Amino acid sequence: MVSGHRVIFHIDMNCFYASVEIAHHPELSGHPLAIAGRVEDRKGIIVTSSYEARAKGVKTTMPVWKARQLCPELIVKQPNMTLYRETSKQIFDILRRVTPLVEKVSVDEGYMDVSSVVSVIHPVHLAKRIQRHLYKSLKLPCSIGIAPNKFLAKMASNMQKPMGLTILRKRDLPTTLWNLPIGDMHGVGSKTEEKLKKMNIHTIGDLAKFDRLRISERLGQPGISLFNHANGWDDRPVDPESEDRYKSIGHSTTLPVDTIDLTVVKEVFSKQSEKIAFKLKREHIASYQISIVIRYFDWTNITRNKTLKTPLITKQDILFQAMELFHRHWDDRPVRLLGITLTSFEALADSTTQLDLFTYQDELKKEPVVDLINAVTNKYGNNALQLASSMIKNRKVKNGEYKSNERTNE
Amino acid sequence: MQDIADSNQTALSMKMTVTKDKLVESVTHVMKAVSSRTTIPILTGIKITASLDGVTLTGSDSDVSIKSFIPLSENDQQNVTVEKTGQIVLQAKVFSDIVRKLPSDTIAIEVDQRLITKITAGSSEFTLNGLDPEEYPLLPVIDEEDNNIVSIKKDLLKHVIRQTVFAVSTSETRPVLTGVRWNIQNGKLDCVSTDSHRLAQRVIPISTDDETKYHNIVIPGKSLNELYKILDDNGEEPVRVIITKNQILFQIKNLDFFSRLLEGNYPDTDRLIPTDSKTTITLSTKGLLHAIERASLLAKEERNNVVKLRTHENSVEILSQSAELGRVYEDVPVETIEGEELKISFSAKLTMEALSRIDAQTIQINFTGAMRPFVIRPIGDEGILMLILPVRTF
Repeated sequence: MVSGHRVIFHIDMNCFYASVEIAHHPELSGHPLAIAGRVEDRKGIIVTSSYEARAKGVKTTMPVWKARQLCPELIVKQPNMTLYRETSKQIFDILRRVTPLVEKVSVDEGYMDVSSVVSVIHPVHLAKRIQRHLYKSLKLPCSIGIAPNKFLAKMASNMQKPMGLTILRKRDLPTTLWNLPIGDMHGVGSKTEEKLKKMNIHTIGDLAKFDRLRISERLGQPGISLFNHANGWDDRPVDPESEDRYKSIGHSTTLPVDTIDLTVVKEVFSKQSEKIAFKLKREHIASYQISIVIRYFDWTNITRNKTLKTPLITKQDILFQAMELFHRHWDDRPVRLLGITLTSFEALADSTTQLDLFTYQDELKKEPVVDLINAVTNKYGNNALQLASSMIKNRKVKNGEYKSNERTNE
Repeated sequence: MQDIADSNQTALSMKMTVTKDKLVESVTHVMKAVSSRTTIPILTGIKITASLDGVTLTGSDSDVSIKSFIPLSENDQQNVTVEKTGQIVLQAKVFSDIVRKLPSDTIAIEVDQRLITKITAGSSEFTLNGLDPEEYPLLPVIDEEDNNIVSIKKDLLKHVIRQTVFAVSTSETRPVLTGVRWNIQNGKLDCVSTDSHRLAQRVIPISTDDETKYHNIVIPGKSLNELYKILDDNGEEPVRVIITKNQILFQIKNLDFFSRLLEGNYPDTDRLIPTDSKTTITLSTKGLLHAIERASLLAKEERNNVVKLRTHENSVEILSQSAELGRVYEDVPVETIEGEELKISFSAKLTMEALSRIDAQTIQINFTGAMRPFVIRPIGDEGILMLILPVRTF
């Protein structure tokens, strides 16, 4: 690969869930369609909608009742995640036929590094071919951004929808990217947008021309990344394995009714802890950081986290820490949604546990094994005898992220 | 003749002069108790009380309260003159900044009935809006029955605090562990602190009658840290300690230091301290501390700061590794080594904190197994014990 002259595509499926539904139910074509969770489960929020619905003002995250006010003829379907995942797999199979350098970001978007392919075919022709192929074989529209790096490709694919094809060159930045409001920049959430606006940064161009040091002072490393991106600098490789690496394991649950009942809270956390512990066990990893999210009845969220000396492995550990965080930070108002997320992983084999004066005796159950291992090690050398868990090292746990040992479709 | 109207308006509710040095010293002391983040607004102030025998300053954050007294005279030196007794509360931060910067050796403070306070020193004059002293909470009244009083030499008290307070818990998970537990019995003061990963214990003889007996006195670590800063190096002076149900009072010459006590039962840690030993080593305190310090250079970034210790015939090996940085080995000579071979992992940070609080040159360490607590005791000082829980690595 010739470095410095990369050609990166960002493929963005247009209104993916809605498009898949229309592809499978051609009779829906041309009608306003929205995908939303079940109203009875209080998940009646629009997840995505067709362009016909969007034209009437229907927006993602809007409650269904509100969308119906704007567009009475709206057809609402519940999401069929299995179908979307299967379709997603078909899409990425097609992309991988072009090059193995495909990075899946989510079900409906991904990057391709086509640097080595474009010596034989012009990038625009290649992009058109991919677009046409996806449309013919799967009946799905997509937008493609073509650029020298991931960030610009991502911004480019967003510029024309549906079935757009946008080239973003570095020399075009002052006339294209830099005129966009800062809130449209990939990586700038509402909180960051607020901070940047306070610094009098209103467009991506403002950020590109801002003082790098001051950005660093106010926003730290993430700020520097944004600053570089705004200037069109981004050397992140397209990583085909990133899909298999996880930074977090989490679960969240919208409650059927708002609650202030601690037994309900504990039940919810208990179920979530069980699922998370199961996954930890399957991956042979332990976590050193837990966070919980509490969404109140009025949709205000708080997220609180805690770093631990003793790794979380079991359901009981996770539940205990989650409840403790909850007790410390809950302000007694009715709760609508609860979630637990674990991060900062270590391979179980490499994990260390700072023993506790009041509980170390529970750990002593393992002592005979430890003594035996020490004895054998002393006699026959290192690694003569090990716990099975410490031999499972093939999976990479690096910088607190882990690579799953199964190709899951989750 | 006096102008009556004028005198009414400026009728004084307090008037005094005080030497700057004494006032600065007192303010510095009471400021240790004043917190800017208090829920009771008046506690952002310092209370000043001028009485016939001198001036008293009070600062409090409702957990800790400090009262500093400046007597009229000391060693033939006049500190204070009081023309009119009274009291006032002044914003602590401003008042303390002002008195430090005033230009002359004597400072005059007068307060009128509208709580307006005039501070004059040399040609400088400040007028401050005071707060109503009636709103200032009363300090706990402590009954001074003689049998309540325990006397500890100042330097010994400082040692006891230094050797125990570092091990208190900083997490509110078990609030009682954020304090140091004191027991007083049979002429001995027994202090214990633990954050559940390590424990520090110091026992000292004190002068009380045999009747004096206190159990489960838990003093917040934060209070002891403040007290430590106030205790000067005038070591021989005694500190009088008076304990009530929910307060402890430390009385030093002209200074009263009150602290709230923590509620709740402190766990019985005596049962948790191993009495046997499977591997016993004696070695130089500094030798081990420095070896662990070096090993921790690589362990610092790793979770739990793990270093390993491995026994050999005449030495112990300290080792540590980091997947990214590399590894380090060091042989530390020992004076004696007895018992079973041992390989144990522990936190460099916790062990260094314990070792650095031991003044004796030589220590004995008793290990009871790789997954059980080990105990460090200085040779020649029975009263100190440091316990550390190891780290399990697989």
